[in-house]
Amino acid sequence: MLKMTKVSKIYRTDTVETHALREFSLEVQEGEFVSVTGPSGSGKTTFLNIAGLLEELTSGTYELDGRDISALSDRERSKVRNEKIGFIFQSFNLIPELNIFDNVDVPLRYRGFAAPDRRKRIENSLEMVGLASRMEHYPAQLSGGQQQRVAIARALAGEPRFLLADEPTGNLDTEMATNVLDLLDEINGNGTTIIMVTHELTLADRAKRNIFVRDGRVSDGPPEFRLAAAGGQG
Amino acid sequence: MELGPIWRSLSKNKAGFLLIALQIAVTMAIMINAVAIMQERARDMGRPSGLDEPNIFALSSTAFVPGMNMRALIDEDLELIRRTPGVIDAIATNSFPLRQGGSSRGFQTEPGTGKDDVGAAVYFTDEHAIETFGLMLVEGSNFAPNEVTWTEEGSDAWAGTVIVSRAFAEALFPDEEGSYVGKTMYVDQAKPVQITGVVETLQAPWKGWDGVERAMLVPQRRDFNFQRYVVRTEPGMRDVVMPQVEEALAQSNRNRIIQSMRTMDEVRYMAYLGDSAMIKMLAFIVTLLLVITGLGIVGLASFNVSRRTRQIGIRRALGATKTQVVRYFQVENFLVSALGIGVGAVLAVALNMLMVNAFSMAPMAWYIVPIAMVVLWSVGQAAVIGPARRASRISPAIATRSG
Amino acid sequence: MLRYYLKLGMLSIRANPALSALMVAAIGIGIGACMTIMTIQHVMSGNPIPGKSDSLYYVQIDSWDPNNEYNGPNELPEQLTYLDATGIDAAAGDEFRVVWSYKSSRILQPGDGADLPFEVRTRATSFRFFSMFALPFRYGASWDAAADRNREQVVVLSSALNERLFGGGNPVGESVTMNGDVYRVVGVLEPWLPVPKFYDVTNNPYEEPEEAYLPVTVAVAAEHDSAGNTNCWKPFPGGYEAFLNSECIWFQMWAELPTAADKSRFEQLLAAYVEEQKTLGRFPREMHNELSDVMEWMQDNEVVDDDVSVLLGLAFLFLVVCLLNTIGLLLAKVMRRTKDISLRRALGASKQTLFAQYVVEAGLIGIGGGVLGIALTWLGLRGIENLFAGYDFVERLVTMDWVMVLLAVGLAVVSALAAALYPTWRAANVTPASQLRIQ
Repeated sequence: MLKMTKVSKIYRTDTVETHALREFSLEVQEGEFVSVTGPSGSGKTTFLNIAGLLEELTSGTYELDGRDISALSDRERSKVRNEKIGFIFQSFNLIPELNIFDNVDVPLRYRGFAAPDRRKRIENSLEMVGLASRMEHYPAQLSGGQQQRVAIARALAGEPRFLLADEPTGNLDTEMATNVLDLLDEINGNGTTIIMVTHELTLADRAKRNIFVRDGRVSDGPPEFRLAAAGGQG
Repeated sequence: MELGPIWRSLSKNKAGFLLIALQIAVTMAIMINAVAIMQERARDMGRPSGLDEPNIFALSSTAFVPGMNMRALIDEDLELIRRTPGVIDAIATNSFPLRQGGSSRGFQTEPGTGKDDVGAAVYFTDEHAIETFGLMLVEGSNFAPNEVTWTEEGSDAWAGTVIVSRAFAEALFPDEEGSYVGKTMYVDQAKPVQITGVVETLQAPWKGWDGVERAMLVPQRRDFNFQRYVVRTEPGMRDVVMPQVEEALAQSNRNRIIQSMRTMDEVRYMAYLGDSAMIKMLAFIVTLLLVITGLGIVGLASFNVSRRTRQIGIRRALGATKTQVVRYFQVENFLVSALGIGVGAVLAVALNMLMVNAFSMAPMAWYIVPIAMVVLWSVGQAAVIGPARRASRISPAIATRSG
Repeated sequence: MLRYYLKLGMLSIRANPALSALMVAAIGIGIGACMTIMTIQHVMSGNPIPGKSDSLYYVQIDSWDPNNEYNGPNELPEQLTYLDATGIDAAAGDEFRVVWSYKSSRILQPGDGADLPFEVRTRATSFRFFSMFALPFRYGASWDAAADRNREQVVVLSSALNERLFGGGNPVGESVTMNGDVYRVVGVLEPWLPVPKFYDVTNNPYEEPEEAYLPVTVAVAAEHDSAGNTNCWKPFPGGYEAFLNSECIWFQMWAELPTAADKSRFEQLLAAYVEEQKTLGRFPREMHNELSDVMEWMQDNEVVDDDVSVLLGLAFLFLVVCLLNTIGLLLAKVMRRTKDISLRRALGASKQTLFAQYVVEAGLIGIGGGVLGIALTWLGLRGIENLFAGYDFVERLVTMDWVMVLLAVGLAVVSALAAALYPTWRAANVTPASQLRIQ
């Protein structure tokens, strides 16, 4: 499904070169639920940006669904994002000027579905996150948990093969967070591949596989993490 | 395209977009009316006087010693001018087209007081007028030399025959189909005058008069102290002949002064100075206005781009291509422009009606409205393209940054 | 507090140089366009004789054709016939100060024959013209009533003509020859330039006053033709004598009537005069007399050109566009700073203080726009002067005075504040800390 080989990302300013990823390699199979953890500045976000085709990589190869992504044009990258990847962000990233219906509609528009099809998808996905009754509302009128569920509905509406979640519960209280994680489990159960970036180990624990990033590389991770992971498998 | 969401998103930031729409509306109202005025002036300026303007000049002679033999002086002067190499012909006249000063009379189709009359400018001159002005005689014939008489200052005698402009003949005899030659009309309520010729075009001296196309040649020479001479030269000879004629006349008799020597081009320039200045000022205003409105759109669009950086990033993350982001701003601008243009069309028509009433302007031509629409739409699209391009370069990675 | 607001305003202007420059430019250009046209309108509609404009009245009576109105319904002839000018003057006698005059021209023959003869524009009038219109004398004085009565060949010269003929010296008692007639110089004027030339607007309100003034009795006796508008409705037999007795109008008449009582007595006099003439078979139309003071007369005659009114209207709409532009940009600026505003609100700024802060900032932009506007007005006036380069009088119409400069800055500041109203209100209504929670 996803295969990164020796991917590097270097940010350059006039005076400084920052190596955000160093020969990062990772392979994720179809249907997996993988968590990516690591301390701040470890390269998690860069990994996410590259995995989600939000940024280009400096060197290495990245194959998504058997296709080499590194050589694609901006237009093709946009298309891949739109069709294959669903995003869930920490700060929800709903568009405040648009109501819930229109927010979920955004990626479907770019996809070019016909109007009745879009309406059905939007209704279905909002149904799934339990917010079908709030379609006319604006983001500011919803609680944080509800907003994140709208964001999930938006990610799912296009039926992506692959869901990227960036600290999906970071701005939520515990109860709402559990709620959202249950939803992700359910989605994964339906066959969608999920990669979740987080710095909370308890969250990472919900995933079926854990990857620890340090200094831009996949690392063996701290002992407690290995223990937890071993415990999880055991 | 995603018209619905764009529209709903617009209505969340009403004030900003309404301001642009209003600005476009007022711009359109000004632009359309300015163009209507410019068109009217340009049309006026384009009317032919009937004269061979590039090859004609005029000057005046004022005698100041009492008791001079003016008839002899005028004949000598004209003889001298006509003899000058390069001159085609010359006349003495009381006025000429575009001069902005002259005489007019009322003419009626039957004698008696209280009858409707039609006004026309009268040029008191002789049988050389058609050749000197370069008029096109379309009917009848030129004056015979013995038709031309002398009149004294203060005399109320009138010639029995005249050559009129076609526009005057049509105005006085609106029901006449074929020929105007031989028709009789009355001046000073009683004196009969017969039309013996019709020229295609001969303007009155006042360009702002609504009867400017109505004028006539009267075969009467006036032996006043003050005379205007009009001279027509061979093509290209005007500027050579002018100083020679001035010098020759000044030398020939010292008891008068020669002044006001001007080419017809200068006379036309002075007559339409106000109109050409008006056209230039309005053109300047319209250009400046479009620039300001354009800059306003650029300013607001740039602001919207920077304000919506995050939204655009999210859209890009969700799969919008660069083209789609640019298209979004273009459609948004198109919708706002449409609102402004709609209101602007109404405003423009209202303003035009106001001006037609207050300043007796001609109503504007309908086709200015769609042209103005296209122009404003284009200005809007051109103005928004820069900020939209900038928006399309926003990195989709912005969506993963919290802040 | 004001100093703090000024500082914040300057900071904010410097923080958004492009946006601020755009606003200053928009206001400046709008003000410049408006003030350019307003300056011309201001000059054209100025009061040419401020001290006396309320007590000088232009005299009109309806002597016109029974079958045709003069120039449309209720329009009176603008000028008087010779019969009426002399008739009303005689009726007024010494009880009222009345002046009548017409425009003419003469050929002046310089004395020693060295210079060529040249044309001078003359005004034929009576001795009261000078005191009624307060013409300033440099040398000598007006002629007197006896000179008018006795048809003395006297002349008053303009300052420019005196310069040309006598090098600016005192020529009183010298003589000048015009069309063969010899006139004695009795006075020379200081430079005098009423704008508009109110005492005769029928013959171009925007030209220099005449260069020489002669007794009208002399001019008429010597058959000086009118160089102004002459309109006739009734045929008359030939000859100057017949012309004087005709229904042709070519004189302008003014009466000086300092009080309302004077005015009403003069109205009675006019009515009595017209009645008397009707018994003699003149004045076939219904009686209609009118007295207009200077400013009314200027308005009736539309001395402000229609084009100027059209341009003024368009220029004001132009300013409206510039202001809409400014409102939009200010709003953009405020919305971009909602975070800053909400932080200030959280830190205890009241709505009023925020309002004051933004009003001061808008005022600064307004002053900038005003200064730019003045510069652009000056440029605009130079541009118009260029467009009318063939027209001598234009330089009189394109001069800015202090009134206009102050008006420009005032208009700019008021415009900027008006433009700032809505954005500032929006700024003041940003809720405290609402913008801080997110992100």
